[in-house]
Amino acid sequence: MTRGGWLRWGSLAAAALVFAGLYVRHLTLPTPVGFAPARAARAASPAAPVYGAELLPNSTAASVHSATAAEISGGRLRAFWYGGSREGAPDVAIYTSLYSPHDGTWSPERAVMTRELAQRQLRRYVRKLGNPVAGRDRAGRLCLFFVSVSVGGWAGSAINLMVSEDEGETWSPPRRLVASPFFNISTLVKGAPLQFADGATGLPVYHEFLGKFGELLRLDALGRVIQKTRLSWGQSSLQPVIVPRSEAEAVGFMRYAGDPPNRILMIRTGDGGEHWSAPVKTALPNPNAAIASALLADGRVLLAFNNAGENREDLSLALSEDSGDTWRIARRLEGDPGSPGAPVAEYSYPWIVQDGAGEIHVLYTWGRSRIKHVHFNTAWLEKRR
Amino acid sequence: MSASDAFGLFGCGLLGLAAVATLIPLRRLPHRVRYALMLAAALAVFVPFGDLPAAAYLRGVTGDVSVTTLVLAGAACIARITGGTPIGPRDLRALFWLLAPAALFLYPFALGWTQFDPYALGYGSVDFVTALLLVTLAAWRAKLYAVVFIVIAAALAYLAGAYESRNLWDYLIDPLVSVYALVRLLSGLRHRLSGEVTQPAG
Repeated sequence: MTRGGWLRWGSLAAAALVFAGLYVRHLTLPTPVGFAPARAARAASPAAPVYGAELLPNSTAASVHSATAAEISGGRLRAFWYGGSREGAPDVAIYTSLYSPHDGTWSPERAVMTRELAQRQLRRYVRKLGNPVAGRDRAGRLCLFFVSVSVGGWAGSAINLMVSEDEGETWSPPRRLVASPFFNISTLVKGAPLQFADGATGLPVYHEFLGKFGELLRLDALGRVIQKTRLSWGQSSLQPVIVPRSEAEAVGFMRYAGDPPNRILMIRTGDGGEHWSAPVKTALPNPNAAIASALLADGRVLLAFNNAGENREDLSLALSEDSGDTWRIARRLEGDPGSPGAPVAEYSYPWIVQDGAGEIHVLYTWGRSRIKHVHFNTAWLEKRR
Repeated sequence: MSASDAFGLFGCGLLGLAAVATLIPLRRLPHRVRYALMLAAALAVFVPFGDLPAAAYLRGVTGDVSVTTLVLAGAACIARITGGTPIGPRDLRALFWLLAPAALFLYPFALGWTQFDPYALGYGSVDFVTALLLVTLAAWRAKLYAVVFIVIAAALAYLAGAYESRNLWDYLIDPLVSVYALVRLLSGLRHRLSGEVTQPAG
């Protein structure tokens, strides 16, 4: 056979082989399944109202923001947040602290990720760090997702994931999640991860480069993105939080960055996250600020949000008994007239965890200088003010 | 260092080398000097100074480059050093005509224009693989073997999980090669139009 013949038929044979491989890969992908059942918290008991509040330790950072937390062994809580001289500064690190419910104290904070460590372990230049998000994968490992930026502002963000086998004492090197074909920039995280029934992890993310919209990433056991679904599109919805109610049904809420009226956006799925309804405005206000939500053990949906259309001075809790259709303001955590507040009246970026004992924990940015932790039971939530 | 980090750094480093080889007028220099200069450039790109090599700074900006960019960068380096043309102009033109519409299809939608997200097809769509197969067969029939080779190399890298991404699009195309293809096509079009205008009549 001539050289031209080898080239012609050899290239065809090679193409046939690799396309056979592509078809096998794509035809044998597992069929997506619905959400995993939520971990059962102890149902609410008719106990006396319980409420407590602490400021998390902060010995060095002038500015802190974006707290997240996960329950770990012994009913303890491990929190993460980012702090530094200012938001976006090169000295911003991601800190952690451990809460013991027995004595009600937080351990001194320590950095789990710095910009220098991130760029060394990710093997690429990193300019700044941003939002962390904690959760667990199906194997029970503690996962920490965090935002990093190499070029530009937050629109240049990408998400990284590191895992811990020992409840957050030590961590794997981070790996980069690839979620956009455009230089893999403009993907951020704020909402809690969730579980699918097949063991995959779901991660609600958002983009804010040319558009502001949400997506739900599906990660395999190695933390690689293996599928994604669009939650919204356009230029006005971001920071999705997803609350699965059953294997098929979930409700999601999103921060609104569009024209007034400023309202929290809501989305729904009835097929395990394969398809989502177009976002609709709820009756709850949203001053272009992050929200948090969780499904309580009694089936109600709890929402932490800034109850104002223009500022972040009021942080409240709302309850819904019909999966988000109607809401009742249950409590105001911050912003009561006359109550002592932070030097800067900004209470934002809430995070909700209900622990295995049924106690509800809310962490949030308190005046940009501290992270505040409030914890209570459902009896406190019900108690008339 | 993981294999995906090594492959990612290699791709960005090769892109940096291609840029150096294009900026320096290597063809005017003796062969030995060309090799020495490229070796020095390779050391500058891949050897760490401080925490990171220069390739890692480029990687921070561009992310991992596609296999198409990698092949074109490698071809550019070879062309500048040896004076040969590893990829002929006919193959290049065809490649650009494939990349430009693919980019115009992919990026606006992937960046949130509508609810439709073509990027999601790259995680596991038989329709997407079939479309790529048809394009590859058409290229093979037209004897555009460089195009066929690039698709095969990209698919192999994807099947081997060479990059951090598990999305086939990321192995086929990236914004850099898309812009390059669009610029080359527009430039060719401009030349053709100006040639037609200045062409003497009759």
